[in-house]
Amino acid sequence: MLELLGHQILTGLFRSSYYWLIASGLTLIFGVTRVINFAHAAFFVLGGYIALTVDILTGNFWLSVAAATLAVGMVGTSVERVLVKPLYKVESLYQLLITFAVTLIINDASKLIWGAASRSMKIPAELALPVWIAGRSYPLFFFIIIATAVAVFILLYMVLEKTFWGLKVKSTWRDVTMAQALRINTGRIYTTTFSIGSLLAGFGGALMVAFTPVAPGLGDSLIITAFIIVVIAGLGNLIGAYVSSILIGVAESLFLLYLPEFDILLIFVIMAAVLLVRPWGLFGER
Amino acid sequence: MVQTSSKPSRRTFLGTVASGVVAFVVGAGLGWSLRSPETREVTITRDRTVTVTQQVTAVKTLPKDTIKIGVLGIRSGPWATYGTLIEQGAVLAMEEINAAGGILGSKVSLVIRDEAADVVKQARELVEAEKVDFLVGVDSSGNAMRVGPLMSELNKILIVTHAATHRFTEELVYKQKIKQLFRVSVPVYQDGILAAYVAKDLPIKKWAGINPDYEYGRVSWQFFKETLSKLRNDVEFVSEQFNRSPGTTDFSPFLSAALGAGAEGIFTTNWALEGVTMHRQMKSLGVYDQIGAVIMPMGYSMDVVYELGHEYPTAKYGTWVSGRYVWFYPNTTINQQFVENFRKRWNRYPAYSSETTYTALYMIKAAIESTGSLDLDALIKAMEGMTLISPAGVRWIRPEDHQALYDVPYGKIAHTGGEIPILTDIVTKSAWEYYRHPPFG
Repeated sequence: MLELLGHQILTGLFRSSYYWLIASGLTLIFGVTRVINFAHAAFFVLGGYIALTVDILTGNFWLSVAAATLAVGMVGTSVERVLVKPLYKVESLYQLLITFAVTLIINDASKLIWGAASRSMKIPAELALPVWIAGRSYPLFFFIIIATAVAVFILLYMVLEKTFWGLKVKSTWRDVTMAQALRINTGRIYTTTFSIGSLLAGFGGALMVAFTPVAPGLGDSLIITAFIIVVIAGLGNLIGAYVSSILIGVAESLFLLYLPEFDILLIFVIMAAVLLVRPWGLFGER
Repeated sequence: MVQTSSKPSRRTFLGTVASGVVAFVVGAGLGWSLRSPETREVTITRDRTVTVTQQVTAVKTLPKDTIKIGVLGIRSGPWATYGTLIEQGAVLAMEEINAAGGILGSKVSLVIRDEAADVVKQARELVEAEKVDFLVGVDSSGNAMRVGPLMSELNKILIVTHAATHRFTEELVYKQKIKQLFRVSVPVYQDGILAAYVAKDLPIKKWAGINPDYEYGRVSWQFFKETLSKLRNDVEFVSEQFNRSPGTTDFSPFLSAALGAGAEGIFTTNWALEGVTMHRQMKSLGVYDQIGAVIMPMGYSMDVVYELGHEYPTAKYGTWVSGRYVWFYPNTTINQQFVENFRKRWNRYPAYSSETTYTALYMIKAAIESTGSLDLDALIKAMEGMTLISPAGVRWIRPEDHQALYDVPYGKIAHTGGEIPILTDIVTKSAWEYYRHPPFG
């Protein structure tokens, strides 16, 4: 019984880490720029596509992860510079619309480049090594993803809390006008944050393509879950987003074991409950 | 539920088909002999004048030069490849028909639309703006149920070539009498009921179901459970889960829960990218080493087969798969010819929805040629009870529910080193035996 629970929690943690790899960049971008980046999951899927292609060409998975991270980072930076920047001063609805447009462009471009069929790959041999836990084998990849998620969390936390640049980001986050009065180049902070968020999406997407498929428009399904996680946490709250990823991932996994009928509904019920009781999110500030 | 009490016998069925064929042949022969010969004089002038008398067969002509067919398929999002598969079948049939002189002299043209962009709006635009004469296609069961009721208002024939919910023909055609609807592809009887006949002979007692959480996944699992429980009383359904679809990319918690429940076999109607993903993740997570068999009714869909290729995993007692047509069955000249032409045109083995859409176009051709008009009532009458010799075998359009009856096999994935894996240990059953029959209790 305990073993069963253990297995379910482990797969839940894996799923949480997958969620976090999408939600981290999303919440970072929103926290600083106040842009609800609808294209974020499309960036994630794009990272997968690029990694898959580089992997086929070079046979080196780690090289493909690096290439995809950089490529998506560049795409994200260009999108911010060219399309999002002119819209910072207008209502957030326009930012949502422009990022939605970017999503549609990425979806159709990937259909054009990689075809309408879904694409997937086999886990690279070195990551497929079986790790036996209580009678079941898991690929090493499982633990690498869980560890990577923790590392991403610690890294983001350290950068924001322990560096001078992080302080500038937080000032911009708190009050843009005041930050500008203190001669912080908020424009550059916005661009850098958007780039880091996009790099994270590219990185996560590239890693996950070893286990999950890519398909045109797949991001549209992923973004919903990521949004809900971020909303439950409180928009822009980094620690909260990590905790809520774990909460949702593990809860979903456990419900599959005990109450499978309720599983798909679960995330929406949690969101509704949080919004009713704490509309600013579990970890958000009023 | 499988209705056995009201089921007409196989003999009656064969009798009906045979008499249909005989009637067709007799009718055609009679028509040929009774045709009004037209005599005309042609004067050819060369160096001297001769008079040649020629007999020319009277040709029925249609009121228009082009017959427009609207094609609906999923062309965007994660399932977008299925729109392409439908399109490939439609285009091949159109090219063949036009090259052979069209339908009673009229050319066929296609207008292709994305059903994922609001199927009701697309169907309406196809009929009202594009002025199409027929509609074919529809991938999603949900979309088929949305667009079906609209067809009585638009008053055009829709031939479904993929969407599988039994409710389309049982409820919309049989109960609600929407006569404009037809289906040439097998419904979920294939996915749920025939799959149970496969499971019956496997040494598996504990089944887990991991199915997409919508119409298709739920009814297939229901049929599978009901039928298998009747065929064998020692089986248990230890775990039943439904995943979001499209959009489930991580099956690990589902698989973990199925193993936790002690499953020996897994039944899944996940298809397209989710089918591929499940196979790959079952392999990575060692599920294939712990269970005896996997049944995936849509597992021999060409997108899945090409994507997995030589890595298509096989379980101890088999990975059992099927489709709505499999390219090597039946072994007939017409099928071989179709596969060859398809490979020449598209460089691939034909997917099931390519074959079904291809056949739908020929069904339209046959109906128009037999009635000689575009009159809707006459066309519906011609299609009801029609016998079609198609690549997938002989299809009989059951008059009561407008559902095509034909057999599609299941088989075990095997790797023989070819371009794609093949199927062995073929399980077939006459459609008459495993289909549900009116009045659909």
